[in-house]
Amino acid sequence: MTKSEIRIPRFDAYERVMHWMAALSFLYATLTGLAIWSPKLYWLAGVFGGGFVIRGTHPWSGVLFSAVIGWMFARWAKTMGLDSDDKVWLTKMDKYITHQHGALPESGRFNAGQKMLFWSQVVTALLLFASGIVMWFPEWMPRSLRLIAIAMHPLAAIGSISGIIVHIYMGTAAVPHSMRAMLRGWVVPEWARFHHPKWYRQWRDSTNIR
Amino acid sequence: MIVAKLIDTTLCIGCKACEVACQEWNDQEYTLGTFDGSYQTMPDLAPNFWNLIKFNEVEKNGGTSWLMSKYQCMHCADAGCIAACPAPGAIVQLANGTVDFAHDNCIGCGYCITGCPFDVPKLSPTTKKVYKCTLCSDRTAVGLEPACIKTCPTNCLTFGERDEMIRVADIRTRELKADGFKDAGVYNPQGVGGTNVIYVLNDVKQPESYGLPKDPVIPWTVQLWKGPMKVLGTLAFVGAILGAFFHFVIYGPQDPEVHGHDEE
Repeated sequence: MTKSEIRIPRFDAYERVMHWMAALSFLYATLTGLAIWSPKLYWLAGVFGGGFVIRGTHPWSGVLFSAVIGWMFARWAKTMGLDSDDKVWLTKMDKYITHQHGALPESGRFNAGQKMLFWSQVVTALLLFASGIVMWFPEWMPRSLRLIAIAMHPLAAIGSISGIIVHIYMGTAAVPHSMRAMLRGWVVPEWARFHHPKWYRQWRDSTNIR
Repeated sequence: MIVAKLIDTTLCIGCKACEVACQEWNDQEYTLGTFDGSYQTMPDLAPNFWNLIKFNEVEKNGGTSWLMSKYQCMHCADAGCIAACPAPGAIVQLANGTVDFAHDNCIGCGYCITGCPFDVPKLSPTTKKVYKCTLCSDRTAVGLEPACIKTCPTNCLTFGERDEMIRVADIRTRELKADGFKDAGVYNPQGVGGTNVIYVLNDVKQPESYGLPKDPVIPWTVQLWKGPMKVLGTLAFVGAILGAFFHFVIYGPQDPEVHGHDEE
């Protein structure tokens, strides 16, 4: 068999379901959240059944998203730790952006950029969850907490959404075949060796497929 | 014409007729209050209780002052509830200055509760919408005075054109000063652009003793969220989208076949 017919498993079914649950709940929470964020974006509320409806559903989508982030943390936290190569990678991120891959240290299963996205999403999800609970039940929450939450929630959301915009770009146009990895679970060896050489060698050494 | 309610606290006898009139006119179901050793009907305003006489007991000059003050929506010129509200048309400011909630448009998020420096709006657990004093907009629209004003037996409450109310309040303040209340004054806080409910207090330097905040303003976190943070968010979102697009235009995809890789 030729190399491009070999399929390296990248994301198993659990990880794919996990990722897309996070993605769908995030998308829903983002669009409904933007509707309540600014009166100028309130038209988005109409898409999802009106303001009164999304006031009820937005918090639940946030709870689901937070729960999936918790699942992701349990599954990926160890893998997402930065090793010494990753730290060098981060200082040379401009080389990654300008496609000078030769100048970068080799990446493992996830590169340092992906790891930073993971950690930033964990942090913003925590902030969003904590402030979201406060904003969900204003009648039960002390005023001082509500005043903090009302500023913290959108601020964390700005960080989170900006990160995900970049993530969506990376996963679609910027890195061909990565979408297939997340939808169907596998990549070809050429892709693995180019983007994640350390991870590729681990796979190669653990199998006799060449 | 901007209208205003004038509350001369020095004339309030705590009869609570205004509470009853408010409940009656607005057809509110009475909910039993909490007895906490005070003459006050209940500790705070409620979704179906928009007008509360606060009975403030204040230690002063070796004695106790029993300060009664009417507590309701202040109908601010620069209203925190409107600043915080995300649903267009849910809170409206009428041409006469009344700040009124349009419940068809209210989504019940409760942001107005946090935006209000007077902590007035209350979320109803049954309808999931927020309620407060309407300044009897259904009465003022046809030239009647609000129900509380109509019923007040001591002329503690008056209603009319705002400038006129301020003039009356100033006259009353001068009278009080002549009577020996040297700190008497008008409570019309400028931090919220002035209010359309103004008070005459016999000690304007200590509005807290009447249960009124000293220098109410729209909370800075609400201003941050509704101001600079929107600019930041717009820049971040548009920046990320345009950045991604132009990155693709300049550098294209990261494709191993294009960039090549040495065979091992």
